[in-house]
Amino acid sequence: METLHSILPELIRIVICAIGGAVIVFGNALVMGYAERKLAGHIMLRPGPMEVGWHGILQLVVDGIKLMGKQLVVPKQADKPLYMLAPILAFAPVFAPLLLIPFSDKLQGFDIDVGMLVILAFASINVLAILIGGWSSNNKYSLFGAFRSVAQNVAYEIPMLISLLAVVFMTNTFSLREIAAAQSPVWFVLLQPLAFLIYIVAMVAETNRAPFDLPEAESELTAGFHTEYSGMSFSLFVLGEYANMFIVCSVATVFFLGGSSGIPLPYFEYTGALWFLLKVYALMFFLVWIRWTYPRTRFDQLMNFCWKYLIPFSLVNLLITVVVVKLI
Amino acid sequence: MNVEPLEDDRHHRFVLNMGPQHPSTHGVLRVLLELEGEYAMHLHPVLGYGHRCHEKIAEHKPAKSFMPNTARMDYLGALIYNQGYAQLLEKAAGIEVPQRAEYIRVITAELNRIQSHLLWYGAYLLDLGAFTPIMFAFDDREHILDILEDVTGSRLTYCYHRVGGVSKDIDDKFVSRTRAFIERLRSRYTMYEDLVNGNVILQKRLIDVGELTPQICARYGVTGPLLRGTGVAYDIRRAEPYSVYPEFDFEIPTETKGDCMASFMVRYREIEQSLRIIEQALDKLPEGPSMAAKVPKKLKLPAGDYNSSVEAPRGELSYYLVADGSDVPYRLKVRTPSYSNLSTVPETCSGMLLSDVVSAMGSLDLVIPEIDR
Amino acid sequence: MDVKNVVKQWKTIAASVEAVDFAVTGYDYDLSVAGAKVPELANFMLKSGFYLVDLMAVHVTPSIEVVYQFAHVETRCRVMIRAFVDANNEIPTISDIYQGANWHERETRDFHGVVFVGHPNLEPLILAEEDVDLKPLLKDEKSLKDVAAIRRQQPEPKPEAAKPEAVKSQEQS
Repeated sequence: METLHSILPELIRIVICAIGGAVIVFGNALVMGYAERKLAGHIMLRPGPMEVGWHGILQLVVDGIKLMGKQLVVPKQADKPLYMLAPILAFAPVFAPLLLIPFSDKLQGFDIDVGMLVILAFASINVLAILIGGWSSNNKYSLFGAFRSVAQNVAYEIPMLISLLAVVFMTNTFSLREIAAAQSPVWFVLLQPLAFLIYIVAMVAETNRAPFDLPEAESELTAGFHTEYSGMSFSLFVLGEYANMFIVCSVATVFFLGGSSGIPLPYFEYTGALWFLLKVYALMFFLVWIRWTYPRTRFDQLMNFCWKYLIPFSLVNLLITVVVVKLI
Repeated sequence: MNVEPLEDDRHHRFVLNMGPQHPSTHGVLRVLLELEGEYAMHLHPVLGYGHRCHEKIAEHKPAKSFMPNTARMDYLGALIYNQGYAQLLEKAAGIEVPQRAEYIRVITAELNRIQSHLLWYGAYLLDLGAFTPIMFAFDDREHILDILEDVTGSRLTYCYHRVGGVSKDIDDKFVSRTRAFIERLRSRYTMYEDLVNGNVILQKRLIDVGELTPQICARYGVTGPLLRGTGVAYDIRRAEPYSVYPEFDFEIPTETKGDCMASFMVRYREIEQSLRIIEQALDKLPEGPSMAAKVPKKLKLPAGDYNSSVEAPRGELSYYLVADGSDVPYRLKVRTPSYSNLSTVPETCSGMLLSDVVSAMGSLDLVIPEIDR
Repeated sequence: MDVKNVVKQWKTIAASVEAVDFAVTGYDYDLSVAGAKVPELANFMLKSGFYLVDLMAVHVTPSIEVVYQFAHVETRCRVMIRAFVDANNEIPTISDIYQGANWHERETRDFHGVVFVGHPNLEPLILAEEDVDLKPLLKDEKSLKDVAAIRRQQPEPKPEAAKPEAVKSQEQS
């Protein structure tokens, strides 16, 4: 099977991938920013943004312009180089994983053998950005948020990885395209329901979304690690958050929901991306939905849940998978 | 300000200055937290950012014209503060209030209490990180504000109860709108219960957090829903009946545990009891004047001291008036519930997680202007 | 709580115990006590199950009067306890007995300058540090009155002074 990288010259391909990545990151932020506010509004029995454009559809564009026009405030006592570095570090690494995601059979930037590991490696750079941002702001609330974030993300990466490993054992590959292709008769969500559940919980925690939004817990830590950030430096954090949501949901789609498989459409090797995006956005809708429904957990409960339940269960699941795979 | 000197072994602690501007202190309250990791080892509330010296003001103007100030102390229970103060002056000057006025006072005061509880409900859950319930609660609360606005003329800081009665009689529109509101709020209970009260995360956050006992309550003078959460059925409306409360059939909700969940449930169940009182009062509403026939312009207060206690949404509110025979109080002391309730925080909250401090302080239902009165 | 027994005990500690008409004053008993005996009385109040409602000061001529208000959660029994501060504006603290008095005493120190002896921390609570000696609620020369001017005149003796107890026994049932 040939993908984009085998039919186009190297340089053109890189340019196309970079543009595609940027389109996805910014397009996704616009869609999700609007969808989140609209959904939150309807969950709260209010209309949400209504003023700019039809049903407020241009609200996010206006907000983006406003944020770009705002002054970047750097606190006097902040560590300025690190303070400016943190938002970039939160935002920049999200491009690499996007290039590896197989949106459809032929829509994929690169297909490399260790795709899953690369995605997880890039996703964990986000923790570093939050730590640097919290530390360099020289604000106690930011520091608290940063500490919480590091403890939380490091802990939840373990069950996330182990639950994905169960799928890897079944398919014998780290390549995302091959994993997606391996689910042609049955999606892995049916064969690995426990791993899917664990992955979903870990995914919410990894993206610092409610009810696990402890790093920013606004009623305790005002705004957590981004308390001092304003304007574009703040919005880079938000862009990074939405892009991370997109990536973890894409990984869930690839590993458990059959990637781009679905009812065949014409030119399915390209239009399969529609099914892929549908699944991704269904998961994202789920993330938004629980955010606006549940109260926040407490930090010790969050960590206990990970170390006492998620990790043991994911390990048991992995062992069972290994034994079953070996027997068959 | 009033910061205790740090002892040497406490130097390694991380001092977090929560407030005076902080999302979960609900006003200009400042709490200094000495943290060890996530644990708050020592809490130090700092008061006085919004103190307006109402008691000094009271000594400098005729007693009757202090009424608007009472609403500024507790902006959420303004009508109940009005009621307590009106009763105090009526007691002192020996003025009889018409029955109809007493009923109107009870109806509006109970509406005010529901309004306060609804706001607390939303704001408390916002403290716990649930964003949606506050919108539902405000939606319901808005109806009460509309009803009260029609009859009192203001939405928050009312000056409706006057010495001798109420400033404006209620009409049929008020009665029908109030009845419609009662129906509406009752139909919303299932929504609140499904969304919030039964939620596992909420219960894990509230159960066993910030436990109070009747002994602690007695030592600190804690009253209101917090005291009732420890199993003591103490409500001034029942214990020292005032106005026409003895004529109504209502329960005093209690829980036994004394933790945040107990006071949460007590407040939630009080909403229904207030609705019952309003319903009965509307049924029994007598005809007649809504203002006493002759209230002297200059209210002479005979020498002596007078006390008037009412059940405010947060606990016991007492006005203590020392009069010297003129129409200006010699001394007026307002005992506000939040002041005593907050003073437990250094004892009950030390050693708690930061998140629990937020939920324990939220369950006190603090209104800061009432503390800094 | 047995009110009669409690009243008997009060009489051994307090200088005077007076039952007053609840309908007129809003409280049931009026106690006067020597400043030094306040902690003893507070101890007894705590043992009998009273809670501290309020603590305040009234500036009158012989010396500042400190008024403690107690109430009981089971029976209707609201008590005012009055004590005068001594020549140095001092009175013993009850914050070790009723911890809730801690803030009330600091507030009274802020506003009236009453020094509560034995209080763990009499730093200003409401006032700023530089305003320690402001004492905003003290009366000036012109408005300061004698204690007799604020006492209730007794036009006719009230025969039903003991009524509150009878009423509340019905309410409790």
